[in-house]
Amino acid sequence: MKKHNSVFDRFFTALVFVFLYAPILVLIVFSFNKGDSSAVWQGFSLHWYEELFHNRLIMRSLYTTLLVSLLATVIATIAGTFAAIGFHNLRRRKRTVLTTVNNIPMMNADIVTGVAMCLFFVAFFAGWKDFAVWINGIQNMFHLPERLTLGFPTLLIAHVTFDIPYIILSVSPKLRQMDHNLIDAAQDLGCTWMQAFWKVILPEIKPGIVTGALTAFTMSVDDFIISYFTAGSSSSTLAMTIYGMTKKRVSPEINAISTLMFVTVLFLLVVINLREARNEQQEARSRTMPTLEEAAENVKHDRKPSPVPKIAGALAVVALVAVGGSFVARSAGQRVVNVCSWGEYIDTDLIDQFEEQTGITVNYQTAESNEALYSLLKSGAGDYDVIVPSDYMISQLIEEDMLAELNYDNIPNFAKISDRFKNLPYDPENKYTVPYSWGTVGIVYNKNMVKEPIDSWSTLFDSKYAGSVLMFRNSRDAIGVALNYLGYSLNTTDEGELREAYQLLADAKSKGIYQAFVMDEILQKMEGGNAAIGAYYAGDCLGMLENNEDLAFVVPKEGSNWFVDAMCVLKDAPHQEEAEAWINFIASTEANLANMDYIWYASPNQEALEMYPAYYEEKYGEPLDPELFAIMAPGQDVLDHCEVFLNLPLETRKLYNDLWTRLGI
Amino acid sequence: MKNKRSLFAVPYVVWMALFTVAPILMVVIYAFSSAEGGFTLDNFSSMGTYAVVFGRSFKLALIATLICLLIGYPVSYFMSKEGESFQRVAMVLIMLPMWINFLLRTYSWMAILENNGLLNQLFRSIGLIDLYNSIAVHFAANPAAYVPIDHFQMMNTQGAVVLGMVYNYLPFMILPIYSVIIKLDGSLVEAARDLGANSATVFKRVILPLSFPGILSGITMVFVPSVSTFAISKMLGGGTELLLGDLIEQQYLGGAYNPQLGAAISMVMMVIVVVCMAVMNRFGEGEEQAVML
Repeated sequence: MKKHNSVFDRFFTALVFVFLYAPILVLIVFSFNKGDSSAVWQGFSLHWYEELFHNRLIMRSLYTTLLVSLLATVIATIAGTFAAIGFHNLRRRKRTVLTTVNNIPMMNADIVTGVAMCLFFVAFFAGWKDFAVWINGIQNMFHLPERLTLGFPTLLIAHVTFDIPYIILSVSPKLRQMDHNLIDAAQDLGCTWMQAFWKVILPEIKPGIVTGALTAFTMSVDDFIISYFTAGSSSSTLAMTIYGMTKKRVSPEINAISTLMFVTVLFLLVVINLREARNEQQEARSRTMPTLEEAAENVKHDRKPSPVPKIAGALAVVALVAVGGSFVARSAGQRVVNVCSWGEYIDTDLIDQFEEQTGITVNYQTAESNEALYSLLKSGAGDYDVIVPSDYMISQLIEEDMLAELNYDNIPNFAKISDRFKNLPYDPENKYTVPYSWGTVGIVYNKNMVKEPIDSWSTLFDSKYAGSVLMFRNSRDAIGVALNYLGYSLNTTDEGELREAYQLLADAKSKGIYQAFVMDEILQKMEGGNAAIGAYYAGDCLGMLENNEDLAFVVPKEGSNWFVDAMCVLKDAPHQEEAEAWINFIASTEANLANMDYIWYASPNQEALEMYPAYYEEKYGEPLDPELFAIMAPGQDVLDHCEVFLNLPLETRKLYNDLWTRLGI
Repeated sequence: MKNKRSLFAVPYVVWMALFTVAPILMVVIYAFSSAEGGFTLDNFSSMGTYAVVFGRSFKLALIATLICLLIGYPVSYFMSKEGESFQRVAMVLIMLPMWINFLLRTYSWMAILENNGLLNQLFRSIGLIDLYNSIAVHFAANPAAYVPIDHFQMMNTQGAVVLGMVYNYLPFMILPIYSVIIKLDGSLVEAARDLGANSATVFKRVILPLSFPGILSGITMVFVPSVSTFAISKMLGGGTELLLGDLIEQQYLGGAYNPQLGAAISMVMMVIVVVCMAVMNRFGEGEEQAVML
């Protein structure tokens, strides 16, 4: 069997490795990019590695990730191995049923698993509250906590639950493959079952366990959506942070940390493997399946048990100590505020500044979209203090009585907000919100690929540009573009108008005009010159313009959508006072200047808006292009021509959903 | 004795009841309830509309699984014949890509496959695209009207989606197959040879049947996540054609929050997958007897 491979076989294997590593190589190369694009090479730099170590968000989430993955893997490996042995010894019918149940977390869409677990935990917490109140009522000996929330423990439970199936799937084939006479022989030779387990079964199934543990650990590190729904508002994993950071584009910081993790793991695994190889060579044991005699010999010579469980045990202890430590540190009466915003939507230095000034710890998380945020809030996963939704979502939240009224005495900086951003339709009396940023939606296009001047939405439905147009991948914005073009209101509830807009999109799609429906991938596509025209938000378009000077942006003559994102506090938020301190800090002129410079979205703070061109000139030593500033913060005349999204009635939202699904079928 | 050992399954069965079955029951309850909380079958009545999406998802997942098997089996087999130190390193190298976040790897593929991406730039610089144009113009029905291409369309196709699935889940095919092949009883192969079988026969009659448990695990581990993926189709497929994962995700993260419909769709999906797995397991259990003999 140990016949050597032919040249062809080796070549084939090599090709597969090239396939596996090609994208990773690209990723590593771009971690050394000078600019912040992951599509356009702008020169070598180590800049992003420096940034990385100053980024507390990344460092904190890295810690959480390693901790939860390590603990989950250790628990899942031990539990999964025994479970696999148990399953193996069951009768076939029972085993089939249990295996199927075991496969559920793997085959269920992650989001369903995530939401289902979240709902389950929330239901359990509600039940627990009643129970705790009752217990606390009938006795005085001890006091049970009444309010449980999602957090590290629920995150860990979720990870263990989706890790175990991978262990069982890797171990089961090994068990099936094993010669059962070995165990009987060992026991005949006087082993207890436990001894037989250590000396016969474990060495046999070890490769399966190792594979399973590796897979489980990797799945834990990689998981996003299940963590998203079970982590609560105070802990985030690296994957969650990465999703936040890729909101606009893959930040090279993320490439940098991935490169570092990759190199570290590579190094560790190589060292471990080399050492193991050396050990095994010393033992000079054959790797083939032990025959009965060999097994008997192993038993007689009382071989040392495998070091794997010891190492795993030691790791578990270390990890547990670390967890304990972090919980003690956390419960030391620290003030915290839990914030949920959008990815790449804040100059992270501001978080550090706020923490230093006030001593309040900021747990900063990001949601993917207004809808994702809503779904987090609705399912009970997000017990945040501060959120930063957009206009239409704010009015929906107000309508559903989910926001708390703010105490504006604690937010003196609210006075600095320009009057044109106060009392807007989503919050007519301005009781709930402090604006965060604002901007318009428009067309971004590549001047090399589009020869004519563009000023109308009609280009997004023009067969001339078939295959090179990018359209929004969300129903509200995409149908909004069509409504704008047709001259209808963005907030229409008229079914006929909406169907007409849908038809326009569907026809354009069937003519092959759309290269893709995109959200943030548009940055990479436009910057890299892969598409000619796209519709997107002004702030992000400015980011694209910065990386590719062939691009231009225009707000079409038919009018468009303009939007405001505003900070609000959730009803019954546990840290309302801290939340207001945070909002006041972010509303300050200094914070707004820093943010404007970082995210390219305009500030609602009048002072900051006026000071920005001078701020820019001082910081970069060159004047700010007035054209860019006009895109960033267009005058009132442009806004008057545009419309703000309002919350739509449920019926209309359902219609949007239906139409959108039909577009994708 | 047999029963005593099966007791090891008990803690995990309890765990599953709590954290797998109970949440799934909540999904089932949701699937049968309306937004107001009453019982309804409405969520299932519209399922026919989505038949196309079901078909597309299962088709792409099947193709991806097949390709993974066709690549994964030979690689596992070749690796098992290499030296021990090579095998160790190779195993590490196969798992390692998974350490880079899934989303980042997919972004990288976008940079490679784009119309103006790294591959197309390469093709352009080595003259492959010019070559294609000069050949294609001869075969064009009307050479005068032939529009030369400036890139090969790789992004935003179903092929790109399948590639994404294969890329992401290939390690899950290789690992179980490899760990089974490496443990095959060499004396069986020798016996077959002694009895006059040539290499092809040995492979077909001995090695392949014996590696069946690994193949079954591999197929499950690739097919199941492929069916429910959503990020891949969004990013590599251009998002214009929905897969099941997209459809489900849209009910939770779309404009109209509709977890009831999302639960119903995922329930139907799960039932189909369970049936497929059951059929396969039946098939697999038969093979297991062969292993035991």
